[in-house]
Amino acid sequence: MQQSIGISLKKLRKQFGAFVAVNDLDLEVGAGEFVSLLGPSGCGKTTTLRMLAGLDFPTSGTISFGDQVVNDLTPARRNIAMVFQSYALYPHMTVRENIAYPLKKRGVPKAELPARVAAVARLLQLEPYMSSRPKELSGGQQQRVALGRALVREPDIFLLDEPLSNLDAKLRAHMRTELIELHRKIGKTMIYVTHDQLEAMTMSSRIAVMRGGNLQQFDTPAEIYQRPANVFVADFIGTPSMTLLDADLHRRNGSAEVRIGGTTIALPDRHVAPARANIAPIKLGIRPEDVVLDEVGFPAEVKVVEPTGHECIVLFALHGTTVKARVPAHVRLDMGQSAKISFRTSKLHIFDRATGLRMS
Amino acid sequence: MTRPNYWKQPLVSLAVWAIVLIVIFPLIWMVITSVKPQTELFRIPATFWPTEITFEHYRTLLEKTAFLKYMRNSVIISTSTTILVITVAVLGAYSLTRFTYPGRERIAFLVLATYLLPSVVLVLPLYLMMVKVGIANSLFSLVVAYTTFALPYALWLLRSFMASMPEELEWAALVDGASRLGAFVDVVLPQAIPGIISTALFTFIVTWNEYFYALILVNTDEARPLTTGVITMLVTSFNIEWSLLMAAAVAMSLPLIIIFVFLQGYLVRGFAGTGVKG
Repeated sequence: MQQSIGISLKKLRKQFGAFVAVNDLDLEVGAGEFVSLLGPSGCGKTTTLRMLAGLDFPTSGTISFGDQVVNDLTPARRNIAMVFQSYALYPHMTVRENIAYPLKKRGVPKAELPARVAAVARLLQLEPYMSSRPKELSGGQQQRVALGRALVREPDIFLLDEPLSNLDAKLRAHMRTELIELHRKIGKTMIYVTHDQLEAMTMSSRIAVMRGGNLQQFDTPAEIYQRPANVFVADFIGTPSMTLLDADLHRRNGSAEVRIGGTTIALPDRHVAPARANIAPIKLGIRPEDVVLDEVGFPAEVKVVEPTGHECIVLFALHGTTVKARVPAHVRLDMGQSAKISFRTSKLHIFDRATGLRMS
Repeated sequence: MTRPNYWKQPLVSLAVWAIVLIVIFPLIWMVITSVKPQTELFRIPATFWPTEITFEHYRTLLEKTAFLKYMRNSVIISTSTTILVITVAVLGAYSLTRFTYPGRERIAFLVLATYLLPSVVLVLPLYLMMVKVGIANSLFSLVVAYTTFALPYALWLLRSFMASMPEELEWAALVDGASRLGAFVDVVLPQAIPGIISTALFTFIVTWNEYFYALILVNTDEARPLTTGVITMLVTSFNIEWSLLMAAAVAMSLPLIIIFVFLQGYLVRGFAGTGVKG
């Protein structure tokens, strides 16, 4: 297996007229890493990927593959492969011709083609379809052909642009596993663009969360889930999403407490960084799994119960606000019923209300 | 689903066939007349089926008139125009759909704007220009003239066709190692073939049947196409050679009919989209 190489983006910027699609992005991707670019539509993730591919050129900043700056190289001169959302299979070519195309274009000797195409076909179990045209294949099979076309050249870097978004839910889960397996097998650097947090969380070694052209957080899935850097990441990651409440943070002699309406929650020691002001407006973040039914908790009313099978998502009304909670399925709760809830205080997320940045 | 109306279908077919018959009758009459002997042409009462079939008019047409020369001129003019128009239109349409540059939309509209002017207005300046440049009265002058009206239409047909082709395929080809031109040849052209063929067919038919420009711009047998050639040869102030005219009309239509029969599938496909659906 060839050595894989890393990617380094420095102050990468892309403007379309006055519109800033990617704003001074700094990103270091290690060799062999699986990194997801995650964010809502228009966050600049696809533009970033297209710049990596050489289909768009940066307004400023540099893109390096390993030690080489590739800013001005055409796609053909970068050793990359890309899988498109629509698969972009050549409809007038057979599966075999589709997979062989990148080899032909890179001047691989004709004698080598059949063996290399066959190897990829075996890996992706495409052998029965080699003489078919793309439109005769199912979505999952087309997806595998697109992967095969990317794999066959043994590129340094794989770029994947929402490759699973056109598949149905079951097939998507299956392909997710296959992609993880594939990455483990070939060990190449992969950049994966998605707006689906589940894909990003399950497959990536690290996730770059983007919004409006700006990088919000670049970290491991666990860290992003457990310590979101700001309110946007906190809200974007996690299903159901985190409850975010307006509250006030009161500090006294090294200890701190949070007040929401008439309720006071004491925070564990050193949970919040010290600050000059004694009272600060904050956003309090509570993950649904950190809400517990507790006889000594706050009185709340059950508003909505959504059973998902092994658990229920319950919306509680608490002092005029709504708090989402995960409750085991065997606990019977009815709408309108009153209950007592409390929070795992060590797991509470505190954000500055003005800047949105994490304080805890 | 509604219940199919069994009584309705034959009625619809009947109506359709009646219309087809009305439209096609002059063509049938043309073919029949072209094989009737001269003596039968003006017989009263007229006969529908010829009492005797003869190909003497065709022989006269081919051996004793300039018909073959006109045919050669028409083939040269229509083929050259089609090749020229398609080459420019394919490249132009690709540029208009895939590259961004200032004034792109305006150029596209300007091209079509020539259609707003009646050809009477265009043909005189065109003729004067050709005299100045020194190409008047030649086959080439007609190729140029036909290009002026066939190209805008071809460009717009191909533009809408190419706009419907997914751009991701070209990106994929670029990433796979193709140059821009390579991606065009490997991916764009093969997919545009139905559109190209239908546009070429359209261009060929229009130029083959063109009469007005040929009448004004060319007045020598060396460059006359079939349309004007046949009329000037067979229709004079004193006499109309009906039998020869009908034979010539049949012979003129044959190439188009043959081409159409072979390529009609493309005509239909050319106007339906393309691309793989996931």
